[in-house]
Amino acid sequence: MSASSPIGYPLPWAPAPDIPESWAALGERPLQEITLPSGDPALLVTRYKDVRRLFADERLSRNTFGRASRVSASNDLFGDPNIDNDPPRYLTERSVVMRAFSARRIEALREVVKVIVEELLDAMEAGPQPAELMEAFAYPLPILVICHMLGVPPQDRPKFRRLIDGFLSVSALPEDEVEECRKQYWEYLAELIDAKRAEPGDDLISDLIEISREDPSKLTAYQLQHWVKTLLIAGYVTTASQLGTGMAVLLHRPEVAAELKADLSLVPSAVEELLRYQMMGTSLGTLRYAVEDIELLDGSTVIPKGSTVLLSQESNMDPAEFDDPLKLDIHRTDNHHLTFGAGIHFCAGAALARMELQEATEGLLRRFPGLRLAVPGEELKRPVGGFLAGYTEIPVSW
Amino acid sequence: MGSLRVSADRESCVTSSLCVYRLPQVFDQDAEGRVLVVDEQPPDGLLRELQRARRGCPTRSIRLEGPGVEPDEAGEATP
Repeated sequence: MSASSPIGYPLPWAPAPDIPESWAALGERPLQEITLPSGDPALLVTRYKDVRRLFADERLSRNTFGRASRVSASNDLFGDPNIDNDPPRYLTERSVVMRAFSARRIEALREVVKVIVEELLDAMEAGPQPAELMEAFAYPLPILVICHMLGVPPQDRPKFRRLIDGFLSVSALPEDEVEECRKQYWEYLAELIDAKRAEPGDDLISDLIEISREDPSKLTAYQLQHWVKTLLIAGYVTTASQLGTGMAVLLHRPEVAAELKADLSLVPSAVEELLRYQMMGTSLGTLRYAVEDIELLDGSTVIPKGSTVLLSQESNMDPAEFDDPLKLDIHRTDNHHLTFGAGIHFCAGAALARMELQEATEGLLRRFPGLRLAVPGEELKRPVGGFLAGYTEIPVSW
Repeated sequence: MGSLRVSADRESCVTSSLCVYRLPQVFDQDAEGRVLVVDEQPPDGLLRELQRARRGCPTRSIRLEGPGVEPDEAGEATP
């Protein structure tokens, strides 16, 4: 292995919604030693082609519990000794869940999303300016959509949001408070699933209960609860963070925003480019564990067996894959970014997220052609000590 | 009818839906969300888009054969 001395990860952000030059420079070495927020070591794979390949490499296990480095010292995040995220078990469970995420099912949901977007924009328009985009729009939209999809009662939404925010603390909360949120969230899910068992509805949780009842070998009761936990978290924070970050990046460049406002048919390619450019403001990503030595494409660098590995989102800035990678180009075609991963762990909610981001972006720009940041981009605040980056507040006017 | 041949591996498919969105005239999904090829011999004019769909598939589950088909990118794993 040839790697340099360790650097802290996540990398420092630029003050404004820009990409620091240091990210692109990462690719000078295919493998970079990093130190996670826990203080534990890991190896960052930096080049697009290596990352693309390794996402599909079963020698990198997702079952990290108890053997790999940890992201956080106070929070084991998704570590669960009862859950094995490797095939073949994982594939069986995943295929049960994925039927809810086919293109046809997502397109059927698009009409629901359009209505939610309009209602949120109505409320925003009726309120004072500047509005706070995260609270008024970016958080509520994915929460309402995933709750609709899973069948979470509306009155439970504030509660589960509070618990998830606590659960996703990396260093913002002390260990006992994280643990309390995790415990309460798990108990809440058990109650929710029991209620659906007693009274099934036309929703994903009810569907999964039915599959689990018919054939428990496909999905045990524990696995069912684990998937509901994961889908609720993943369907909420990631999309909210990406929506806010994407708008901040866009509105920080008024000339690009103007171009998009003038031609809303560019929304899908703009959404892809915003996903490539600053995925959720960057996050810590998912750790993997090398069960064997793995050689990288340069033929001389090896990930040693037993290493904790992070496949970098910064590989979306690899000049060998993307022309002028530090430029935000909403016309970019063939944008095969790795923001949703690849291989068997490819983000289950990618099609849902894309659809929501498209409807949200188009709705915002159509309703508010004068939409702009109400503070300079350099003054937007990043959250401290959470799993995702993004921005805590995005004041906007129109 | 073209001379292109398209096939897809349902076993390795992970329901990204990317091929369905890109080329709905060629790809669809079954009730479980797994890929179905609805036109196994699409017009030659779709070659470029088909190659992009193959490239974009997260599990490399799409296969193309026929004149003019470029080899899949070197250095990237096939499942």
